Amino acid sequence: MSNDQNKDAEASFDARLRERLLLARPAPGDRLMLADATLLAALDGSRPFTPNERTALQQSPLTLRRFRHLALERRAQSVPVAANDPVWLGSAGMLRAAASASALEQMVTDDGCWTLHFLHADGGWQVVLALSADAPFATRLLREQPMLRVVDGGGAIILQGRLDADGECERAWPFDGDPAAHFQMHGASFMVEPVSA
Amino acid sequence: MRLPGTRYQEHGWEQVRKLLGHCSLQAFRQIDLRLLYEPGQHGALLDAYTEAVAASLRAHLRTSRAEAPGNSYGDSVSELALSLLFELQAQPAFWQAFMAAMAQEHARSGAFWDNPLADGVLRKKVNDMYVGLRDKVDADNYIVATGRDCSPNKIYTYRMLDMAYGEIARLFAAWEQHREQVGAILGRELAGLPIEVRQMTSIAGCKAEWVIRWSESLERFDGAPGPLHTRSKRFASLKNAPEKIAAMLAEISAYEELSANLDSGEGWEGDAGEAALWLEDYWRVISESEQQEAVPDVVDQIRQAQEDAFADAQADGAGDESDADAAEPPANAAQLAREQAAAIALSLSPRYLELARAAQDAGSWTLRLLHAESLPVRLAVYHKLLGPADDSYPDAWLDPATGELPTLQQLAALDGISMPTLRKRRNEAIDKLTAANRAAA
Repeated sequence: MSNDQNKDAEASFDARLRERLLLARPAPGDRLMLADATLLAALDGSRPFTPNERTALQQSPLTLRRFRHLALERRAQSVPVAANDPVWLGSAGMLRAAASASALEQMVTDDGCWTLHFLHADGGWQVVLALSADAPFATRLLREQPMLRVVDGGGAIILQGRLDADGECERAWPFDGDPAAHFQMHGASFMVEPVSA
Repeated sequence: MRLPGTRYQEHGWEQVRKLLGHCSLQAFRQIDLRLLYEPGQHGALLDAYTEAVAASLRAHLRTSRAEAPGNSYGDSVSELALSLLFELQAQPAFWQAFMAAMAQEHARSGAFWDNPLADGVLRKKVNDMYVGLRDKVDADNYIVATGRDCSPNKIYTYRMLDMAYGEIARLFAAWEQHREQVGAILGRELAGLPIEVRQMTSIAGCKAEWVIRWSESLERFDGAPGPLHTRSKRFASLKNAPEKIAAMLAEISAYEELSANLDSGEGWEGDAGEAALWLEDYWRVISESEQQEAVPDVVDQIRQAQEDAFADAQADGAGDESDADAAEPPANAAQLAREQAAAIALSLSPRYLELARAAQDAGSWTLRLLHAESLPVRLAVYHKLLGPADDSYPDAWLDPATGELPTLQQLAALDGISMPTLRKRRNEAIDKLTAANRAAA
């Protein structure tokens, strides 16, 4: 065995052991501490974890396993399929502060590619997911029309469907409360993602 | 039934359960169950139990039950049994509950585990433990795969609905023999072949109202109340929530359709390459978070606990006896001679320890932390964390007879210490690694 191979083997052995130490330790009452939107924002560097979030992640093997799942998924997808045809795995967005005074009209994902519009009509709410024409993956999504899903910070489904020719998908708001109150109670974040196995 | 991430919810589970029951009975003949009255010994008892059952599972590896498929992702019955056995280590609450149930039975009928006539009682207790554990493990697997909340109760509910669909399908298929019951499910008198019977080709076509009416009328036809209408009220809230039932049926169906073409599911164990990749991301986000010191207007986005939070018991307090003197790394000839004698006695190569020691690079993170431990103790650590065989082990560590690490008995003999001492040092070393791993970013 060459020295380099030996080094690689050592590194992967260490990684394997450290992974097991992080993920397979007992943690009574463990639960999912951070929403996908929060984990993905930290992964793409757009919003680092706060100290409390960092601690929550480090102390929760279950949340670490979700982080691992998302990190590996992200790496698998970031291998370019073809030039100028970027793959999209999902986009996350947050409720921006101080929106509580006025009614919530829209939320935008951190990458600026998606907007959620909230329309008040007939005593109820409609929610519209709109894809920005500038999104690097817009052409591809409009062509392939994949099934899309919008979930809140608690993982509940807000909307599911395919984009129309204008790059929009409109549905009735599925919850009792109005959108602003709902997001404040459920992690203040949302996530647009393709539906896959 | 298949759901995202789950592994223990298909027909093969029956065989997994039986195999674990059988091997557990064998294990209990080998370990000292009287220790169950000493709560401080529960961890040691779990270690002894895990080793004995793992050995028994290996002995059964070539039986037809063990080789049978345990799920449709390619896991055999014995693979599922072994992985569930090791999950006990990470979910000590289930072992604690089992210990309590055993103590209760012992108070009633003495050392019942010595009596072959009481095998059924013992088997039942083992069964209860694994039935609860598999739903906990699969609920966690579901959360990891989807990012959505789940609980053992929810998994149990999915399974009940899947079973209800199976029953309804069976009745529909033989509707002429079950005319009245099918009528009760559909909510009308039958006049000839009901169209619904033809239309329902999968769980996707099963209506929530049918499930409710099937459960409601079951007592009339079978003598026992349906799951939504039992006195235990476990699923009672569902009978007034057809939309909830419909959503769960739709989820089972959607995933079965999606996963029908997949020949393998993704286990979270993964391989060594994946471990290095995501850990790189992990340390990067941790250090980015540490560099950006608390920005005042960033609000924590920590999820609130959901109502169905699973109330776990406390983890067991591992032995807190003081540190035993750590073995020195051997350098002199006398030590080598002693090692060689021990190795020969175990039918290992005389130079086993010398070569195995050389196979671990001094730059290794693990070795830096464990340099004070003897090699057999270090190998016992890897044995516990990664199992007896792992792709990342150098050949020099393996017993050529088995292709695996030496057994714990062999490692204890190599080190010239007793099994309890080896286990104690091993567990202390793991605690040390765990602490260092959490601190290091």
